[in-house]
Amino acid sequence: MTTEKPQYDDFIVKGFIISALIWGLASMLIGVIIAFQLVYPQLNFELPWISFGRLRPLHTNAAIFGFALSVIFATAYHTVQRLCRIRMWNDKLSIAHLALYNLSIVLAAITLPLGLSQSKEYAELEWPIDLLIVVWYVIFLVNYMATIFKRKEEQMYVAIWFYLASFITVPLLFIVNNIVIPASFLKSYSVYAGLFDANIQWWYGHNAVAFVLTTPFLGLMYYYLPKHIKQPIYSHRLSIIHFWSLIFIYIWAGPHHLLYTPLPDWLQTAGMVFSIMLWMPSWGGMLNGFLTLTQAKDKIKVDATLKMMLAAVTFYGMSTFEGPLLSIRAVSALGHDTDWIIGHVHSGTLGWVGFMSAAALYYLVPRMWNANLYSERLANIHFWLGTLGILLYIISMWVSGITEGTMWRTVGENGELIYKDWIEIVEYLKPYRLFRAIGGTLYLTGIILMVYNFIKTIQSKDSGFVEQDLRIGVRA
Amino acid sequence: MLGFNKLLDWFSNIADHWDTKGVKFTVYATIAVLIGGLFELIPPFFLTKTVTPISTVKPYNALELAGRDVYQKEGCMSCHTQMVRPFKWEVDRFDPTKKLGRDGYSKGGEFVYDHPFLWGSKRTGPDLAHESLMLRSDEWHKNHLLNPRTLGGVPNSIMPAYPWLFDADNVVDADEIISHMKALAKVGVPYTEADYLKANELLKGKTEGDALVAYLQKLGRDSAELQNTVK
Repeated sequence: MTTEKPQYDDFIVKGFIISALIWGLASMLIGVIIAFQLVYPQLNFELPWISFGRLRPLHTNAAIFGFALSVIFATAYHTVQRLCRIRMWNDKLSIAHLALYNLSIVLAAITLPLGLSQSKEYAELEWPIDLLIVVWYVIFLVNYMATIFKRKEEQMYVAIWFYLASFITVPLLFIVNNIVIPASFLKSYSVYAGLFDANIQWWYGHNAVAFVLTTPFLGLMYYYLPKHIKQPIYSHRLSIIHFWSLIFIYIWAGPHHLLYTPLPDWLQTAGMVFSIMLWMPSWGGMLNGFLTLTQAKDKIKVDATLKMMLAAVTFYGMSTFEGPLLSIRAVSALGHDTDWIIGHVHSGTLGWVGFMSAAALYYLVPRMWNANLYSERLANIHFWLGTLGILLYIISMWVSGITEGTMWRTVGENGELIYKDWIEIVEYLKPYRLFRAIGGTLYLTGIILMVYNFIKTIQSKDSGFVEQDLRIGVRA
Repeated sequence: MLGFNKLLDWFSNIADHWDTKGVKFTVYATIAVLIGGLFELIPPFFLTKTVTPISTVKPYNALELAGRDVYQKEGCMSCHTQMVRPFKWEVDRFDPTKKLGRDGYSKGGEFVYDHPFLWGSKRTGPDLAHESLMLRSDEWHKNHLLNPRTLGGVPNSIMPAYPWLFDADNVVDADEIISHMKALAKVGVPYTEADYLKANELLKGKTEGDALVAYLQKLGRDSAELQNTVK
């Protein structure tokens, strides 16, 4: 056995880190703009390209497929090489992936404000861009799988399982949902109609949450958390059980988006039951992360990255508790279509995905550019601004959503609607929506501080990175 | 509980060595997601083929289809749903004149020509599934779209204004809409040659805004007609 250190390709990791910073800033800035538009409609400026209906899909696409995917790819390239103790199978494929991926996001940023949209949620991009996505995805998948199959480490560590499961499921979802008939170069129609189209869409839509925003980030957690604190994960057995049950159960959950619709009742019930069952594997992952973290509990005070990991795991636990709750019919009757859902989604995306991503980036940037982080204090401020922002966001959306749902259904003694005029409800919700926008602004400010911190760090590249030891009993 | 523990032991023991076998692991993970995936997609595929067609529901004519395209383009479904759930409060709210009778909630048969579906997932503004039954004039819709906060509109509305839809030069191109209709025919919408021929006449000089208003005035109209024939 050789102990010689393999030469890893870090260029591709850096490329995706920079993509993540750019698309993260863009998506969250747009998020803040549309949050304010929902309070002050004048901010639409009567211009087509920046009106709410066109910016909203741009916000979600940039956040999920621009920011989250960039983080996923950066960390996937970083971890797979180290866990397999081998360089990526083919560097040219990596570069092609980086270039074509960013091209597709740029095209998204151009076409969505122009109103070119398939209008299926998270699958808005028109068919030529979809084809481009398939091209770079195949390039990436071949490269990734080949690296794993040629690995020099016998065992595939748990992080790889989660990445692998994501990378084989996402194309399945994406292709099935995006089958369209082109009417022209920039317009197409789904081959599915009405009810069945809705069923396919939410099978895709919910599993985008599962296999883009959950499993890769669990993989990320399983690698960076133990690495950062230099302690093994709490339970290998728990990771086996929660991995297999998570990927088996998650795929069923889609129909909970379609409760009380004409979708067959048994399918709605299956969606609901599997969503409730999902609580267990989700908390299995949450607990494994949490119990791993407690091995470094006395360092949480001094290390911002660790704080972010703790907050991320906590928000993961919270939002995966809330999700099954919302999929119960009676709760869905109140919460469906309201601001509550927006709050729920953002406790997952800002809390879990956002903080886990930031933690990984704080881990990676100093190591990739071989320089100490410019300011630990700024990172700490980022953490507190982000936490405050998320709390303001989700609490205002809980109040707003439950108020909204209650006002819709309030009837008087004779069974007549009390809030007949829709606008009464809209006016009532205005302050909560303003608080949401302020919460989003705080979160964005944290992200701006992070980017500034990284720019400063990168400017002092090769000045030598010194690793902090976070083990219990080892002085910081 | 003991049985459950044994089950977990048994499973983690057999799964424990899969992480040394790349291909095996990949295949098993694929099977795990395919089971639920196929179960979710295949039976409903056949079931929705048998959705009771509502005899009065007709495909969108050229003008209404052009309006539906505008609806998608402007992302109206980000704020408006098209799915009335079977609750009294929703039925009463979105069919105040009771044209649809007591079961004025959305049926599968209303959406058979909707490629894609436009149910939406957020109801910031009112549901529009049965908008035509609200009996608002074309003029009201036009003013409301031009600026929701003026004229007959709602002073405190948070809806964006869409003045560009009614720009005199923002007319709908008939050839383009005909090509859209032909694409929809390929996925099963029963358009005929007569529909294509009529498109030129229907779309003559119409702006995107006119088309959108026509679409809004179509929503729910066909299913309300069914109620008339039942009586």
